[in-house]
Amino acid sequence: MSTASSSAQPTPTPTPRANAQSTWDIGQLKLSPEVVASMAVNSLRQRISRAILTLLTISTATAFMMYLLTMPRSTDPVDVQSWRLMMVLSLVVSGAGVLNTMLMSVTQRYREIGTMKCLGALDSFILYSVLLEAAILGLIGAIAGAIFGLVISILLAMADHGGNVFAAMELEGIGGKFLFVFFVGMALTTLGALFPAFIASKMPPMEAMRGEK
Amino acid sequence: MTRDVVKVYRMGDTEVRALDGVDVTIRTGEYISIMGPSGSGKTTLFNAIGGLMKPTSGNVFIDEIDVAQLDANELAWLRCRKIGYIFQSYNIVKVMTALENVTLPMLFGGVPPDEAQDRAVEILERVGLGDRLLHTPKELSGGQQQRVAIARAFANNPAIILADEPTANLDIHTGEEIISLMKEMNRERGVTVICSTHDHKMLDISDRIVWMRDGKVQKIARRDEVDIEINTMKDKG
Repeated sequence: MSTASSSAQPTPTPTPRANAQSTWDIGQLKLSPEVVASMAVNSLRQRISRAILTLLTISTATAFMMYLLTMPRSTDPVDVQSWRLMMVLSLVVSGAGVLNTMLMSVTQRYREIGTMKCLGALDSFILYSVLLEAAILGLIGAIAGAIFGLVISILLAMADHGGNVFAAMELEGIGGKFLFVFFVGMALTTLGALFPAFIASKMPPMEAMRGEK
Repeated sequence: MTRDVVKVYRMGDTEVRALDGVDVTIRTGEYISIMGPSGSGKTTLFNAIGGLMKPTSGNVFIDEIDVAQLDANELAWLRCRKIGYIFQSYNIVKVMTALENVTLPMLFGGVPPDEAQDRAVEILERVGLGDRLLHTPKELSGGQQQRVAIARAFANNPAIILADEPTANLDIHTGEEIISLMKEMNRERGVTVICSTHDHKMLDISDRIVWMRDGKVQKIARRDEVDIEINTMKDKG
């Protein structure tokens, strides 16, 4: 994972080889964080509709989690039981949804990734640019979702309890809850992208280009 | 350049020898056409030369350097700086403009973005797409897309261009334009061009022609020898 400034030319570092009496030496490519970043941002911009769809999935999932965490709860054991069940379900459903979205968005690009590898993209370049893309989506989606969830929670509580919402709601440790929801959203998104990105980055270029796995 | 290359694919219990002892030497600056029916191993040979796959046995030498000995990073460097690929199906990145596509290999190669952009504009003008810089592939015709691919292949001033049936998806007229463009670039830049084709017009501009069959080299001939042969074929035919 070497880093270099964007202006770094790949310096042809001569590698000693048994029978290398060549007119040129094999060089090493360096991974430029700036190029990775600009590629990730560009890719999001070029596929803006897919990015928005992914954002919706992430933020819906995190919003639901946030709502569950902050909504007014009764202490009735039956209600507590069903709340727990809802919480588990929300984690599973949103987890599966986000993972699936990320998986799809990477597998759809196998051909493009194969082409890039033919043009000399490093494995690490593919891996990092896909992960960075996912992380950006996760960041925006999780923050938006957490805020959205809180707002919904407040609005629903208002409808039920009138003006006295904040007393009825579970707002104790709201910062921690916010962080938890944010972290779960980010983790799901990045993990969802990690696996297909890793597969794609290790794939031989020709196979990737044929779109096979 | 290649020495006794063998590639064996296993499909279930059957072994397929896609390449069966291919021995070819290609000189710098040559324009080589590879002819042969589908399944004769042309693409497999290309992938071996281009460092896209490792042969089961045998070696590919590019300028005395054994491709099989390179690690992943060095292979990426080779693909980036020394080899340009042109594909039958163009393989232009769909979401990017012509300009961005041509800039891509230069960015991978560490060229600063501004300089890469200038060079990409220059080379796109050279292939006749100066007024199509910001068009995406779906706004370009097949021939124009292949021109973008040619510009992209030449972007890093490679030593070798590998073109796998570059005209197969194009009509005759456009195909001829693409062929002559590749020939011009070959002359101008002294780049070695290795091109597989079914197209007999390609033979006319090649320095040498390699015929392949069943993973073996059947025959290698210079252009002047071939012209005679096409005539005799016509006479008989």
